[in-house]
Amino acid sequence: MSKSKSKSKPSTNSVRAKKQEKLSFLARMEYKKMIMYPLAVFVIALILLAVNFPTLGIDLRGGVVVTAYGVDANPDELGKYISDKIGVDVRVESFTGVEASGVRVYAPIGTDPLKIIDAMKDEYPNAEYTHSEVQPTFGEIAQQQGIRALVFAFLAMAVVVFLFFRNLVPSLTIIFSALSDMVIAVALMGLFGIELTTATIAALLMLIGYTVDSNILLTTKLLRRKEDSVERAYLAAVSTGFTMSTTTLGALLILWIISTSQTIDNIAIVLIFGLLADFMNTWVLNAGVLKWYLTREAARGGKA
Amino acid sequence: MKRRTKKLLRNWRIILLTLFLIGSIATLALKPLTFGIDISGGVALVAQTEHPVDTKTMQLVVDSLQKRLNTLGLRDITVEAQGDQIVLIKVANVTSPEEANQIKSVIESQGVFYMEFTGTVFGTGSDVEYVGIYKINPDNSWSVPFRISKSAAEKFAELAYGKKGWPVDMFLDPPVNSLMVVPESVYKAMNSSEFNAEAPEAPTLLERIGKAFNISVVAYANQSANEIAKLAQGKEKIVLVDVPGELQTELEGMNLTVRYVPRAQGESDHSLIVRVLGLYGPYSLGEGLTVGEPQQDVQITGSAPDRLTAEQEASTIYTVLKSGSLPVKLNVVGMEFISPRLGEGFRTQAIYAGIGALITVLLIVYFHYRNWKIAIPVASTSFFEVLIILGFAALIKWNLDLPSIAGIIAAIGTGVDQQIVITDELLGGEKTTKISRRSSVLKRMGRAFFVIFASAATTIAAMSFLLVYFVGTLKGFAFTTILGVLIGILITRPAYAEIAKYLLGED
Repeated sequence: MSKSKSKSKPSTNSVRAKKQEKLSFLARMEYKKMIMYPLAVFVIALILLAVNFPTLGIDLRGGVVVTAYGVDANPDELGKYISDKIGVDVRVESFTGVEASGVRVYAPIGTDPLKIIDAMKDEYPNAEYTHSEVQPTFGEIAQQQGIRALVFAFLAMAVVVFLFFRNLVPSLTIIFSALSDMVIAVALMGLFGIELTTATIAALLMLIGYTVDSNILLTTKLLRRKEDSVERAYLAAVSTGFTMSTTTLGALLILWIISTSQTIDNIAIVLIFGLLADFMNTWVLNAGVLKWYLTREAARGGKA
Repeated sequence: MKRRTKKLLRNWRIILLTLFLIGSIATLALKPLTFGIDISGGVALVAQTEHPVDTKTMQLVVDSLQKRLNTLGLRDITVEAQGDQIVLIKVANVTSPEEANQIKSVIESQGVFYMEFTGTVFGTGSDVEYVGIYKINPDNSWSVPFRISKSAAEKFAELAYGKKGWPVDMFLDPPVNSLMVVPESVYKAMNSSEFNAEAPEAPTLLERIGKAFNISVVAYANQSANEIAKLAQGKEKIVLVDVPGELQTELEGMNLTVRYVPRAQGESDHSLIVRVLGLYGPYSLGEGLTVGEPQQDVQITGSAPDRLTAEQEASTIYTVLKSGSLPVKLNVVGMEFISPRLGEGFRTQAIYAGIGALITVLLIVYFHYRNWKIAIPVASTSFFEVLIILGFAALIKWNLDLPSIAGIIAAIGTGVDQQIVITDELLGGEKTTKISRRSSVLKRMGRAFFVIFASAATTIAAMSFLLVYFVGTLKGFAFTTILGVLIGILITRPAYAEIAKYLLGED
């Protein structure tokens, strides 16, 4: 036991040291740049959102969707075929997973999903069909609730962060990071054509939890560091953060690849977007602000 | 070394984890997990009341729906009110899209039942005292026998005195207090003796519904939306039957309630009228009922093109008569049908995805530390966490649906993050001298747990709002996230810290 201990520990530490070395370019960055770049990304994301807001999914907008599993078809041709047959314009999307692939057929509300299924059964009798429909009135309720949930969750997060740190600048930075993560994630959704649905709203809520994790880690390390220099504390934190993010990203990627459930797929992809944004916002933006803040405090002769 | 191992095993955090693990595995073995509709297959419907109602009315709606769906012979039905307007209905074991649609129509029929004679309503659903088993005949005609109250029977006997061959109508959810706009031919049929059974001298259907339900009918002759709106003054809604569809949008634009009924392919005027009015009958009044003797046992009959339809029609009537009317009209605003076979696929996928994610975590953590003594405890602690969450879910019979599984993923994700924080804090203090080590470990653990508690508190605070304010499927997500985070900070995280301290030799 003791032998293996002495053998493995140095190797673990040398790996850690190497990683910190690789990440040290972040520590050397000037804080002005560290604040400016992420802010620029945030602004670009805002512009993207204004130009190209993600479309609302049928559960927020209303509509009919038929999902057929075990259908391998050209979406455009299939769409044309169904539209001709039932006399309603439909949109077809294909998807793939490890075990099954299939198509989703979207139609406006009022279309009878059974008709779409009947039309498809002529061509694909062995496929597995499911359908769902949502009235626009309920879509509106869901939208309002989604917005309310996001706003309340965000406020709750903000309050708890304030209570834990009781320090204006670091708290505000964490809250802004979370906001920027969400904005960037939603902008990327628009860019990649991922719809805003109740599932993706759930993912955005999840993001609040993840974002706060890494930001609290950084803030705690820098504000409550006792013996280390700011740079060393930062390096320790960023290497932990890097491990955290890559682990989570890896797990999410696997989830995304294996699942054919749209709910799970969308949650995974939105979280991936958000975590990528979070890496920047935590380790560059938040770190930049904290560096500036600590330097200023030190200059004032504060405790740091 | 032995002493250290013993000390670890005697640590209360480890004991707690072990107890919970044993408990969870036992629970899972005894009580299998229950899955939501989106995994086990079935239909989920979201219904909205016509207007907001108070809690008492909502309870009536829920009870009545439950009864109704029970009479359909369905198992595993949950009806749940959310807020003052939304009812969530989940029915498991629904195998075909057609069956799903029948459930929808049963929910949507408010089930206000009227018995009418010469324009007078002599009985409603509340007068139904007993409903017999319905019968389907070989020619696909059907009948539902039932008994009406004494007072309704007496009232009827009085009305029907000497009126042999006159029509008796029964209505299910007729468009009460409305203006109907119909094609010329339909108007003529309603205004003729076509619906008069064997008594041409009796009032026409048009007159009867006008008197009984305040339904006015106009023939469509290219009137503008404005003209129609004027005619509809004082009415609750406008029913457009087989007229140009643009009228609907125009009238709705004037803030009027409009119901649009298009003619089905090949549908005759007669069956269109019957469908729009929810009319059963008219039944010709037999001689025995016209002598003034109250007769309580009656029946509704109908016929359908095939046996399946006959079965559905009869069971709908049976259900409505049996369960009474809903206090408020419900509209199904959302519906999702998942076939059980597909659900099976989702379940295996969830298992694969779970295992895949765990292995990924194991490998990536190993890659970062090059040390199985860190990677294996991190991955297995996450695995234990899943087990405990699932055990808890089985214990309280929580229906695991896809959002709940997403919640578990979220909890596990933050769990792994926090274990990494603990690990790095432990490894971080390598260079401190032996003397200061012990206190420094405590300090560093304190810092790690500060991070952990702060982020757990924010997640729980954020998710609680979701749990309280959200209607529909995201509740499951919020619930499992909170559950997972709580299990994490109270059970698995402290235990992991002990194990990590032991394995990394920081004691």
